[in-house]
Amino acid sequence: MQFLTPPSRKRRAEAEAEAGTSAGTSGAAASPVSDRRIVLYEQREAVPFQVPRASFGPSDQLMCTYHCRQMVKSEFFVALDTAEKENAEYKARLAALNEQLYKIEEEREKYRDEASFLQQELAASKARENSLQERFLKEVDNSEERYRDQLRRISELEFEIKKEMDSRVAAEQFTETLKETVRELQTKLESLSDSSDREINNLRRELSYVQDESKFSSSKVTAELERTTLRAESAEEEAELLNEQLIGLKEQLDECLTQKGEIEHNHSSSNISPSNASSDDDKKMIKLLQEELHNYEKEVQEARKLKSSQLNSELLKEKLLEEQSRRERAELELSKLHELQVKAQKLELELTSWKSLLNDIPDIGSYSDIPKKFAELQKEALENMAKLGEITAQLKEIKVAMEYADLSKQRAETECMLAKEKVESSSLEVKRLQLMLASVTEERDRLRKDSSASNKDAGPSDDSRVEELEAALNDKEQMMKEMESSLQEHREMIAHQHAELKLFNDRLTDESKKVKSLERESDRLRHEVALLESKLGHGDYSSSNTKVLRMVNTLAVENEAKQTIEALQAELKRTTERLQAVEELKGQFDAALPEKLIQLKNQIAVLEKREERYKAVFAEKISVFRKACCSLFGYKIVMDDQKRPNGIPVTRFTLQSIYAQSDDEKLEFEYESGSMNIVMNDYTSQTDIAHQIEIFIRKMNSIPAFTANLTVECFNRRTLC
Amino acid sequence: MASRTVSKDIITLRGSAAIVSEFFGYAANSILYNRGIYPEESFSKVKKYGLTLLLTQDDGVKSFISGLTSQLSEWLEAGKLQRVVLVIMSKATSEVLERWNFNIETDAEVVEKGVIKEKSDKEIMREIQAIMRQIASCITYLPCLDEACVFDVLAYTDKDTTVPMAWVESDAKLINNPQMVKLHSFDTKIHKVDTIVSYKNDEWEDEE
Repeated sequence: MQFLTPPSRKRRAEAEAEAGTSAGTSGAAASPVSDRRIVLYEQREAVPFQVPRASFGPSDQLMCTYHCRQMVKSEFFVALDTAEKENAEYKARLAALNEQLYKIEEEREKYRDEASFLQQELAASKARENSLQERFLKEVDNSEERYRDQLRRISELEFEIKKEMDSRVAAEQFTETLKETVRELQTKLESLSDSSDREINNLRRELSYVQDESKFSSSKVTAELERTTLRAESAEEEAELLNEQLIGLKEQLDECLTQKGEIEHNHSSSNISPSNASSDDDKKMIKLLQEELHNYEKEVQEARKLKSSQLNSELLKEKLLEEQSRRERAELELSKLHELQVKAQKLELELTSWKSLLNDIPDIGSYSDIPKKFAELQKEALENMAKLGEITAQLKEIKVAMEYADLSKQRAETECMLAKEKVESSSLEVKRLQLMLASVTEERDRLRKDSSASNKDAGPSDDSRVEELEAALNDKEQMMKEMESSLQEHREMIAHQHAELKLFNDRLTDESKKVKSLERESDRLRHEVALLESKLGHGDYSSSNTKVLRMVNTLAVENEAKQTIEALQAELKRTTERLQAVEELKGQFDAALPEKLIQLKNQIAVLEKREERYKAVFAEKISVFRKACCSLFGYKIVMDDQKRPNGIPVTRFTLQSIYAQSDDEKLEFEYESGSMNIVMNDYTSQTDIAHQIEIFIRKMNSIPAFTANLTVECFNRRTLC
Repeated sequence: MASRTVSKDIITLRGSAAIVSEFFGYAANSILYNRGIYPEESFSKVKKYGLTLLLTQDDGVKSFISGLTSQLSEWLEAGKLQRVVLVIMSKATSEVLERWNFNIETDAEVVEKGVIKEKSDKEIMREIQAIMRQIASCITYLPCLDEACVFDVLAYTDKDTTVPMAWVESDAKLINNPQMVKLHSFDTKIHKVDTIVSYKNDEWEDEE
């Protein structure tokens, strides 16, 4: 607000007008106060006189008398007195006015001081305002920068959080894949352990069985083998002997028959002299021959028996071969057992490795913990399954919350923008106030100048000026107060906006945190859903409340049954055919069976007798032969057939000299495939005997010479002793 | 035009079990035909679910599937059936190549209290039709079965279920690192059936 009219000039004009009026009424008193001019007495006198002159008139002056002079003097003195009184009054008034002026000046000075003080305060407030503005602008800039930094940080943090989320998701996926692999490995472990345990137990059982069986069978087999071999050998020998006997006997028979024929011929040709002796001889011969026939028949039967025994031996050999094959199979199984043991060891190693893996798995200390852990994991899986239904609702709620957070974020941003705008408007307002202050200071300067100019022109215009000044000061004070109040309001607004900004920022951070947590939750739940779906699709299940059943594939079973039925039917047909053939044969044999049986039995009896006869004759002959050999060569010979470990049959001859001084003096020879070899024993290892063996057998290759020499020595020793 | 009101039919536990077991029978036939487990000439066409489906005429397979569906229906009525899996294996190596997993969620309230539910038969048929179409279209993404294959059926039941005569306990016949495809599901309000097919990763895909 600017004062357009110059108040000092107006006041000057008013003062002049007042001076004029005061000169018209008060006369000299006014003029000296206002104009400070010295009015001459004459003029002053003239002034009062002018007034009476005006009343008397000019013609009367010349005709005044002494009285008139005295009256005039008295009037003059009265007027003088009055004038003096008026002067005194005027002087008093002047003094009072001066005092008033002085007071006013003092007040003016006071006001000047106050104005200067106010100016200083204004300057200070200006400076404060400037500083506040600067501070505020700085704070706004700082807050903007902080906001931008925070936004940058938020974006960076979001990016980092996304990275961490991704890494966490990847880690969780990895851990879950690891858990799945662990579970698979655990299931495999269990199955492997169970299967390995079962296999081990089965194998052990089988091993024990097989070992026992193999031992038993091997012992059986060896025993049977030995028996059968012995039997077979003996049977073979007997058969050979019997065959030889048979051949011999046959030859004898032929000879006998030829003799018989010759005898008969001779008997028939010559005169029949019924001499009792010859007939008796013939009868005897016949009986002998019949007996021989019987013997031969017996021998034939024995030969048949031997044949059957040979067949049995062949069967036994076959059985032997079977047993050997079984033994080989048992050995193979043993070897397999070794392999299985190796496998079992490997499995045990794997088990230990799995156990070590289990140790790595948390919350599991032993096998018994695994099912519990599985149960816990399955419970967790069930709980997760139960959460599935809630997950979708939560996801939806999360989405709604996220949308709400976005909206609140947008609102906070808009409010921030509004606060910024308000800040800008307040800054503009502050600038405007500054301009106002500048104008106010200009006004003040002008006032100062006016006041300084007005101090020069003292007088009745001081009151008006003082009043004007007071009014102006009051106005200025009011303006100052208004400005201060507006400043305070602006400050309050700014503080309020700051507080709101802080609140919004806090809300923003909270909402962003909520959003992040909700996003994490949603990702986790999505991941869980995906995992559970994958588990479902993979076919996993909890063995505590689920079991897997399979329908027996009747298609395959029926096929197998059909095949077995067909095979059985084929066998049935074959057996029926065999039965029919057997029955036919039986029918055929049934008719002529008894007669054949009787014939065969007779033949068997005859052959058995023959064999016995042959045996007796052979035993007699052989004993005679042995005795003859002993007496002729001086050695008792004992023949013994043995088998070497390699299976080659060897005939051992034990010779004991008839001149031997002790039973230990025996010579042992082995006859093998046409060669006779001496067997060293305690007797032959004696030096002299060994020397003789060296000379006669090794060097000269003559066993008879050795035996003859030994006989002679023994004879000499015996006779000399 | 008057608005059509959706008519809802009453569905009982027995009816729902019959629907699900029948669906499984037709689904099994469809899978056997589409995957070439049995020759094409051994199948005949029938109309069902608004589609032309193929049923096997092999007596053995027929009797097998009919026995299977009857047992499944029993278990469904008792609320003991959790899952049915049709497994396709190589005949030579017995390696599991595909698993058709039919997961079943049963409303326990219906089993315990015999509550009746309502749902339109047409809607159920429509849902089943969608699954049948998906089974038919599976040959576009499933790997070819070049070798002779056989199938088997596994039933995941409650632990306390008594094992019938023609059934034995078995392992789950899982596939290592399978690929999975989730198909549509259908819901009778008493039984909800989800279908997932998992198959062995094809070597060509691995190489890629």
